[in-house]
Amino acid sequence: MTEPNSDCLQYFVTGTSEEEPRSSSDADGSREQPFTSLRQALEALGTDTSRTPSSDGNRGGPTVMLTCIARAGASPPPNGTPSHQYFVDPFTPARGKGTEQAPWDSFEVAYAKLTDLARSQQLALRVGDRLEICCREVFTATALEKWKNIKEAIAKYVFLTMALTCFLPVVVILTFLLVKAWPALSVDFLVTNPQNNLTAGGIWAPLIGTFFLVLTSLLVAAPIGILAGVYLNEYASDNWITRIINLAVMNLAGVPSIVHALFGVGAFVHFAYMGRSLLAAACTVAVMTLPVIITSTREALAAVPMSFREACWNMGATRWQTIRTIVLPNSIAGILTGVILQVARAAGETAPILFTGAVLYVPIADAGWEYMVPYGPNDRFMALSYHLFALSTQIRGISDELLYGTAVVLIGLVLLVNSFAIGLRIFLRSRKKW
Amino acid sequence: MSEPATSERIEICLHTRDLSLWYGNFQALRNVTLNVKKGLVTGLIGPSGCGKTTLLRCFNRINERYGNVTTTGEISILGKNIYDANVSLSELRKTVGMVFQRPNPLPISIYRNVLFGIRVHTRRRDLNRSQRDALVESSLREVDLWDDVKDKLRMKATRLTLEQQQKLCIARLLPLKPRVILMDEPCSALDAEGTEKIESLLETLREKYTVVIVTHNMAQARRASDECIFMLLGEVVEHGETSQVFFNPQHEKTEMYIQGRYG
Amino acid sequence: MPEADANREPSPPRPWSMLRTFHVAVDWCEPLVEWIIRICGWSAILFVFAIFFFVFREGSEMLLGGLDLKEFFTSPNWRPDSVVRPQYGILALLAGTISVTGLAMLIAVPLGLGAAVYVAEFAGPRSKETLKVVIELLAAIPSVVWGFIGYMVLGPIIIWATGAPVGINVLNGGIILALMSVPIIVSVSEDALRAVPDSYREAALALGASRWEIVSRVLFPAAKNGLLAAVLLGVGRAIGETMAVLMATGHAVQIPHSLLDPVRTLTATIAAELGETVSGEEHYGVLFVIGIVLFAIAFVVNLTADLVVKGIRGEKHD
Repeated sequence: MTEPNSDCLQYFVTGTSEEEPRSSSDADGSREQPFTSLRQALEALGTDTSRTPSSDGNRGGPTVMLTCIARAGASPPPNGTPSHQYFVDPFTPARGKGTEQAPWDSFEVAYAKLTDLARSQQLALRVGDRLEICCREVFTATALEKWKNIKEAIAKYVFLTMALTCFLPVVVILTFLLVKAWPALSVDFLVTNPQNNLTAGGIWAPLIGTFFLVLTSLLVAAPIGILAGVYLNEYASDNWITRIINLAVMNLAGVPSIVHALFGVGAFVHFAYMGRSLLAAACTVAVMTLPVIITSTREALAAVPMSFREACWNMGATRWQTIRTIVLPNSIAGILTGVILQVARAAGETAPILFTGAVLYVPIADAGWEYMVPYGPNDRFMALSYHLFALSTQIRGISDELLYGTAVVLIGLVLLVNSFAIGLRIFLRSRKKW
Repeated sequence: MSEPATSERIEICLHTRDLSLWYGNFQALRNVTLNVKKGLVTGLIGPSGCGKTTLLRCFNRINERYGNVTTTGEISILGKNIYDANVSLSELRKTVGMVFQRPNPLPISIYRNVLFGIRVHTRRRDLNRSQRDALVESSLREVDLWDDVKDKLRMKATRLTLEQQQKLCIARLLPLKPRVILMDEPCSALDAEGTEKIESLLETLREKYTVVIVTHNMAQARRASDECIFMLLGEVVEHGETSQVFFNPQHEKTEMYIQGRYG
Repeated sequence: MPEADANREPSPPRPWSMLRTFHVAVDWCEPLVEWIIRICGWSAILFVFAIFFFVFREGSEMLLGGLDLKEFFTSPNWRPDSVVRPQYGILALLAGTISVTGLAMLIAVPLGLGAAVYVAEFAGPRSKETLKVVIELLAAIPSVVWGFIGYMVLGPIIIWATGAPVGINVLNGGIILALMSVPIIVSVSEDALRAVPDSYREAALALGASRWEIVSRVLFPAAKNGLLAAVLLGVGRAIGETMAVLMATGHAVQIPHSLLDPVRTLTATIAAELGETVSGEEHYGVLFVIGIVLFAIAFVVNLTADLVVKGIRGEKHD
């Protein structure tokens, strides 16, 4: 650090601040003729403008150092940290106290304040002490800022930890499940029916049941949901009916799943005389997935720029023509993604099918047409989600790997479909031409 | 410390040398070398896309918000190269303040808006209540906003008119005692009356601060600035006193721009 | 059109002209199509009302006549199977729901908000994308799987760690619900933080604020409505959860005195007992009344969340 030293104005003082300044005009602060007291030094420096460093300069400015020596001509103590350090910063916004964080704004002010301190005897120099007044280099960090940087680093790591705590335990648990299920996982497991009072065998019957459940509910929910989304985004004007519809969609999305089950029992099982059947369960699940299909369709449609539609209208196309030829094809990606995500959800839900059609056990054939399509619309059926629930809570004597295997297949199915939908969304978004 | 050099250096507030900037692969600034004088209002003019705003945003390094910016060359403000390793961005931005194109008061009260900057840079206990009040009043007086809002200091700042918001954005900088104020087309979102008020404000700011103002409006540059820098396609074409640039331009391209041959 | 066209080969019919012919033929279809679309649009209201109607229908007998509402809401005695005098007090069930949801929110809200701040403001672009995908996948895990995890995995851990006699209790349910609610809290909060206009961030940055100062002094105040909505949606999800709490909190109908007590929530009660009842029975009807209560709670929470979010939009237009 040679630069500050070369820019450093060194003065020497003997004695302490208590003495009255002797009117020794020879003292000029050099080693041979040091000032005799701190106050004399400060007053001399303060009044002598040639000794006041120009602190309005561009660079940080020099440092003024007062070293206390025993007597004239004595050698100064070796360089080290000054015992008293004050700061001047011509760019400081606040009226400071001379600290690094709140510096004085000029050397004149510094001298005046230090003189006051010396006069009131709050400041005294002993032999070997150094008093330094330095100018902070512009644009360097203050102590406050260094402290703030530390706080920021802490904050960042705290938040990172929080983020990891949300996700890591789940990842660990899922790995654990996979490990415990590993022995049971095989193609055989998937295609064999459950046997021996559900304590052995595979999961074909519930698996195919879930498949048909989801398919049927999709056939009901997708058309209605997509068209409802089209209505809300393309046709509806901003009046009270639309607001109520929006409110209804939002509420429908928030209804607890067990209330959907109650609705299914009340409306489909009893009122519509479907009884406990695949159809009743599928309709219940359809009503449950409807609001999210509507919302994601709306978002996909809203992402198509208005200018496309305006271009069509300017050519004389009607609203439906525009939608059919331009808007829908350009938003099909988003719509599809929304529908696929709901498929995954439908496969995993248990509560809505608990009382509307899913049962513990339905004996089905092990081969042939009945094997592939075991359930008609009026039949009770087995479903994978319900199967897992029943196996965990109601069946005794089942091997761990079978149980965990069922869970892993269900999770795997749902996550696979979700990943596919997310991947589709990312892929299609990157291909978008606008 | 040789006296003549210091006084020369005092005159120059902002200095760039061979400054080039790339957004990804696109070069927005080409070897820009200029010296902005202290205490003057310097206008940056030029057609759209010539790099004026990019250059302005280099001075407080706010370009670095976007990840894909590379810079070469040197910028010195008040004698220090702002790309040095030990430069703290927070301190730089305290001394070099910026006013944006669209007024952006924070969604808090007017009182808190004015104090936001200084509260970032000082500890809570170093600023007591009376000091805070005094700062708010003096800053708002300096931008000629005090009389309009002195009864409504607690009101949310976003409810002021656009021109009042812009004045507030300028007032926000003042407690920090900046040396340089950068203005990026501050009047483009305002109507004629608002523009006039901001320009008269510039008059009062002139001596105390060094102002660099980017403007699309040539008439405004002629009215409000002392010196003008004309840029084209990322390069500085001409830099001189405003009256000289407008009435006796040295370069043909400057002359064509002044005459409105291209915008 | 130049006369030379007459000498040219006739060009193959262009798709647009084919469409035009097709259009003319089905133009009369269009009003019909539009009506179908309109009806689908109204279907949402229809289904919400239908849900309320049918649940109300099955529970109306008990709600309007047979049930002593005061006892319903204030008595902790839930004994529907008692031959002597069936009691239908849901206080214990309410306590179960509140205790599990409360614990879950205590864990999930700070974690979720912290994770959202990290993803929105501190994460680099690649970690941001990865984390957002992970959140989405976590949100997709079915609730029966969560219940399975609580019952089979977390239960034994709790027994081992605390020495409690049973592993399925308030603590178990609370942790599971917290892990389930975190994704929705994180994603809605992150949306709220990202929705704060960038001009605010830039203004604060140009004044020298650090990232943490921008988050705490600008983003939190600006996004507080969205953050509140995120918390409310998390609460809504937790209250309405059925299968996970059914499997993870146990079957004891009691007001819990400690975290290690098993409880039963409103949702789990319906799920556990509806299968054993017959349509028309008292018990059956009361379960539907509980359904009405749940519907009402969910409605209020969602409405509040929506109003809170609209609060910001209303302010922005000022």
